[in-house]
Amino acid sequence: MAKNKVKIAVKDLNLWYGDKHALHGLNIELYKNKITALIGPSGCGKSTFLRCLNRMNDLITSVRVEGEVVIDGKNIYDKDVDEVSVRKRIGMVFQQPNPFPKSIYENVAYAPLKHGIVKKGSGCDELVEQSLRSAGIWNEVKDILKEPGTGLSGGQQQRLCIARTIAVKPDVILMDEPTSALDPISTEKIEALMLELKKEYTIITVTHNMQQAARIADMTAFFHLGDLIEYDETEKIFINPTQKKTEDYITGRFG
Amino acid sequence: MDKNNIFYDPSLKRRHLKSKLFKYFTLFSLVVSLVFLAIFLLDMVLKGSSAVQQTYIQVEVSYNQESIDSYRDAVAKKYLNLLSRAALREIPNQIQKNPSLMGTKQVLWMLADDQVDMYMKEYYYKIDEKDMKTLEELVKNGMVDKKFNTIFFTHGDSKSPEYSGILSAFIGTILTLAVTMLVAFPIGVATAVYLEEFSKQNWWSEFLEININNLAAIPSILFGLLGLAIYINVLGLPRSSALVGGLTLALMTLPIIVVSSRAALRSVPASIRQAGYALGLTKVQVVKDHVIPLAFPGIMTGNIIGLAHAMGETAPLIIVGMIAFIPDSPTSVMEAATVMPAQLFTWAGMPERAYIERTAAGILVLLSLLISLNSLAVYLRKKFEVKW
Ligand SMILES: Nc1ncnc2c1ncn2[C@@H]1O[C@H](COP(=O)(O)OP(=O)(O)O)[C@@H](O)[C@H]1O
Ligand SMILES: [Mg+2]
Repeated sequence: MAKNKVKIAVKDLNLWYGDKHALHGLNIELYKNKITALIGPSGCGKSTFLRCLNRMNDLITSVRVEGEVVIDGKNIYDKDVDEVSVRKRIGMVFQQPNPFPKSIYENVAYAPLKHGIVKKGSGCDELVEQSLRSAGIWNEVKDILKEPGTGLSGGQQQRLCIARTIAVKPDVILMDEPTSALDPISTEKIEALMLELKKEYTIITVTHNMQQAARIADMTAFFHLGDLIEYDETEKIFINPTQKKTEDYITGRFG
Repeated sequence: MDKNNIFYDPSLKRRHLKSKLFKYFTLFSLVVSLVFLAIFLLDMVLKGSSAVQQTYIQVEVSYNQESIDSYRDAVAKKYLNLLSRAALREIPNQIQKNPSLMGTKQVLWMLADDQVDMYMKEYYYKIDEKDMKTLEELVKNGMVDKKFNTIFFTHGDSKSPEYSGILSAFIGTILTLAVTMLVAFPIGVATAVYLEEFSKQNWWSEFLEININNLAAIPSILFGLLGLAIYINVLGLPRSSALVGGLTLALMTLPIIVVSSRAALRSVPASIRQAGYALGLTKVQVVKDHVIPLAFPGIMTGNIIGLAHAMGETAPLIIVGMIAFIPDSPTSVMEAATVMPAQLFTWAGMPERAYIERTAAGILVLLSLLISLNSLAVYLRKKFEVKW
């Protein structure tokens, strides 16, 4: 694994929802330009962990976080780090496609305009096109950019959400079960897209679908009840896991 | 019913009967309420419809110095009791406005006295014998006629019922509600945004929530007392003015606006907020550009319903003195004013039959305004509703 460059280093990460200890001292290094899959039974803390990586948990008032999440050498929980600027660099795609009820164009352009990445009439159209192309949806929507994003099919909406995320030019894209609300054909498209996107971005994805993890992930992390049980190359996890729990889960004995 | 049928259910008949009875019971309730509404509307239309027309008498009016000195000299003495005092009193003013009238005699349709109007509308009237003869003569000669009652819409209150109209109360209502909205809308919506988007969930916010809900249920007359105490006695704002009335109604509408705006904000799905935050947007950007626009139709609906509520409110305004006799429309919020429901309240207490028909006509005007406001709320909601 020497050739893997560490993008995110998580050190002794603990998280509480009020009194509930949801993540127990996690240590993990996530690699640049790889797809890392987080697997594990429902409620084991995959989403919670994912939200730690872009500080979305800050929005939940009862949450308390301890430990470090070092991204490109800087701990994002340091006092001098603003969570809003963290999220500009660490994008997130959700389980339910959630485009804004605005036009397809505005869905993509809104955040870059606010961040000053582009200006109206100077680079904006180009960025929108480029983002939609990268998300593999340009050909389907190029003639209906003025129409509401909410009118697209579920799979198209999800790719629009991915386009919206890349438009902000993040380094890392977090995906929380991005295909679990989609049909198999849309799922296939998103998976192909993820493989394409990892050339430029670091992708961390939660999935309930074991085959999906096996198909697209370079690395896989298995969570159980707030603990990181095992983390290794996907092939290793699926063929030759070292932990009994991992094996039980992968072979479908629980979960 | 075939007993061999495997789905045979011995209680079926009774069940059907029960559900039918229940259905008819609910239907009956609906019919009862519709009948009451229909009776009310019909009564108002019947009583108010005669106010659409007003009796006029064709007489010769002389414009000269004597008429200026005393309007009683402007027409032949025998017509004096048949004509509207208030209209006759206007004659010197007319000369002042239009000096070329001076020294002329004109045959005009002059507004008749309300008793003459009642006679023409075949209601109970009180006219003495001598005047009655003159009137019958005039009627025979076609000099008495009913015309569309423009005065009702172009004049304010008057001591002469035939000369009184809804205009000053209408203007008063507009001014009062303008003050109400200018104050209650921004404060109410901002409060709702704070409570919904910024305040932390703790005992304090719960305490606030309970109290705001309680405020919405307080009898409106208490807001009148509060307005009297604060605005008039402490701040010294002019009594009876649209300003004080509007501020009082603002107190009353605020909780309604806060509660409905919060509901509208809460109905914006959390996924939209998450989408915004995940793009690195600030709270202000998310709330201002994504949450509020989505909540806007609901906020508007709540505001318009609050406004309609305020428009029909009388009690708190009576307490702050907006029941005064206001013949001329107020031109600013500092002047004494009255509002439509208060005007109706005054008229309803008058002995003259002519005021009764004006009360009914006024109710129809008020109702149509309320219905328009509510339709506007429905229209806005439909128009700006976001399709998911
Ligand atoms: N907002 C929250 N408040 C309190 N507890 C939460 C919250 N979100 C998740 N949890 C709890 O944290 C644990 C991990 O949840 P989650 O990260 O959503 O699991 P997963 O995504 O693996 O299904 C669960 O026990 C869940 O009940
Ligand atoms: Mg989850």
